[in-house]
Amino acid sequence: MSDEHSLPGRLAADLDGHFEELVRTFQDRLYGFTLRLTSSPQDAEESAQDTFVRAYRALQRYPKERIATIKLKAWLYQIALNVVRNRVRRGRLTQVTLDAPVSDSLASDAREDHPDQVVIGVEGQARMANALQKLPERYATAVVLRHVQGLSYEEAGQVLGQPVGTTKSDVHRGLRLLRAALEPELELDPVGEPIA
Amino acid sequence: MNMNRQLLQDLRTLGVVNAPARLLENILDEVGLGDLYAPLDTPLGQVFVAWNKLGVSAVMMAATPDDFEGRFSDRFSRRPRQAARPPENLGERFDLRSVTDFERAVLLKAREIPKGEVRTYAWIARQIGHPAAVRAVGSALRKNPVPLLIPCHRVVRSDGHIGQYALGGSDNKRAILAYEGVPVDRTKVAVL
Repeated sequence: MSDEHSLPGRLAADLDGHFEELVRTFQDRLYGFTLRLTSSPQDAEESAQDTFVRAYRALQRYPKERIATIKLKAWLYQIALNVVRNRVRRGRLTQVTLDAPVSDSLASDAREDHPDQVVIGVEGQARMANALQKLPERYATAVVLRHVQGLSYEEAGQVLGQPVGTTKSDVHRGLRLLRAALEPELELDPVGEPIA
Repeated sequence: MNMNRQLLQDLRTLGVVNAPARLLENILDEVGLGDLYAPLDTPLGQVFVAWNKLGVSAVMMAATPDDFEGRFSDRFSRRPRQAARPPENLGERFDLRSVTDFERAVLLKAREIPKGEVRTYAWIARQIGHPAAVRAVGSALRKNPVPLLIPCHRVVRSDGHIGQYALGGSDNKRAILAYEGVPVDRTKVAVL
């Protein structure tokens, strides 16, 4: 299994020899991230591919000292976020409806690999994904980074290029909006306790 | 379950996603690190050879291109693309990422053995500074991803028995040694 923490050192010593390891280490997470941002498997795959190709070309230019100290996870998510935002800006994202395609994009393999982690089923996941997609991009991205992808607030702040406090605020705001959107379906009380 | 905890747990399930298998191959192809392959005629008949930006990554026997792609994919977890012919400089550089540092040292030492000569597993073990690791040398040679080009067939047992071979078994090892001019009887060569 790849040692994520020592990977920058290996990339600095031999980029071509360890780039495949970089892709294998992060491809599921970055594809999952771009899938949540785009809600389209095709756009997600193209965005993830573009992310890794840009990362490779950047690493080719960077001096070894810079590669050895790079915070790979936050750096890759930052590239992915820029790739998706650029595609949105240029109108290059596939138009999707908010119903069927999202459930199509959920990973059946992942459900089989992690049955214990499936709590809400395919329909529930689709509702959750749709609700996320309807949030303002700022809040949706913060929630996805922190609670879908599992980044720390510090890492999410680095990806978003903003202070940790602002990131926490965006995540909390996003969760409140998300809960409000889902409450009728989840049959929750209208007023919940603050979400940590 | 606490509603907030459930919301967070449900969000986490959205992150459990597997990337499509072709994603890795497409990325490696686009940056020039993907593998190509082609058939190669050798004294043992036709084999398939794969290479990438780092060098030759595999030499394998296979009945068909599809068979080779399947074997390559099983071993390296990525799929090569077919090319018309191997590159001119075949054998100058190797992609040995699939082996350990010890195995790499064994293979690179084996590469130094001249055509028409043989050395023993014990000789390799001594040469790489692990004189007691004779069995491990044999294991490393059996895992040689690029037989013929890295001539693991030139390594035999100390009693002259020709031993195992990564490319089709001991019959092929005997055949390629004979082709290279090593005097070999049914099971043994002369070890100096």
